Amino acid sequence: MAAAAGSGTPREEEGPSGEAAAPQPQAPTSAPGARLSRLPLARVKALVKADPDVTLAGQEAIFILARAAELFVETIAKDAYCCAQQGKRKTLQRRDLDNAIEAVDEFAFLEGTLD
Amino acid sequence: MASSSGNDDDLTIPRAAINKMIKETLPNVRVANDARELVVNCCTEFIHLISSEANEICNKSEKKTISPEHVIQALESLGFGSYISEVKEVLQECKTVALKRRKASSRLENLGIPEEELLRQQQELFAKARQQQAELAQQEWLQMQQAAQQAQLAATASASNQAGSSQDEEDDDDI
Repeated sequence: MAAAAGSGTPREEEGPSGEAAAPQPQAPTSAPGARLSRLPLARVKALVKADPDVTLAGQEAIFILARAAELFVETIAKDAYCCAQQGKRKTLQRRDLDNAIEAVDEFAFLEGTLD
Repeated sequence: MASSSGNDDDLTIPRAAINKMIKETLPNVRVANDARELVVNCCTEFIHLISSEANEICNKSEKKTISPEHVIQALESLGFGSYISEVKEVLQECKTVALKRRKASSRLENLGIPEEELLRQQQELFAKARQQQAELAQQEWLQMQQAAQQAQLAATASASNQAGSSQDEEDDDDI
């Protein structure tokens, strides 16, 4: 957590929006080891199958795709946070994500979501 | 928020899951609501992107099911090669868990009580229960008999105490 630690920003409380207390639906199939994916596997699978071209996706493929999506979220959040820090802000704003998306080539596919 | 409209295109990863990941990645950082919303959408887009690419790779490989290998290749070709080593750890865990599960189920079959023995124990229990029932029934029957006898004795005793033709009464009983 290099972005958060030792950056000198005063400790802030989480925004009032907080997190929804809603329980996440976890897929009934057992997840790898003791560590469940942070993302509900059933939902990941549903997203994959929403693509009309996709016929079948194996369970392990879904697992690792979920893990990759987690890593993606972590990465983009950290990148955006760097932008916020550069702007000397303590709150991550949407524009920080916009900047992060524009700055990283691999995130070019996201430019359609910015609307 | 789960999409209840039934339209596949409205599917996203639940907001709560994203919030949790953001919190773990950036503890003690305030995040604007619309920023969170954007992360949810980006995550969904990412999944579509990778799965679409993986599907193409799968089609070219003449396999029908998207395999982990296809996903890994998709990550590589789309510039997310840095995720691969961590993603492979998940794969390893998958295989380990699957292996443990197979071993556990076969171990259970071997150490558990075999079916014939279970059957035998069941028959024994049934027989015991039947016997207990029979004994109980017999006891009740005996008690009833004794009570009836005593009642009869008491009746005849009090009848014979009275003077008179008690014998006539007894004859009546032979009908």
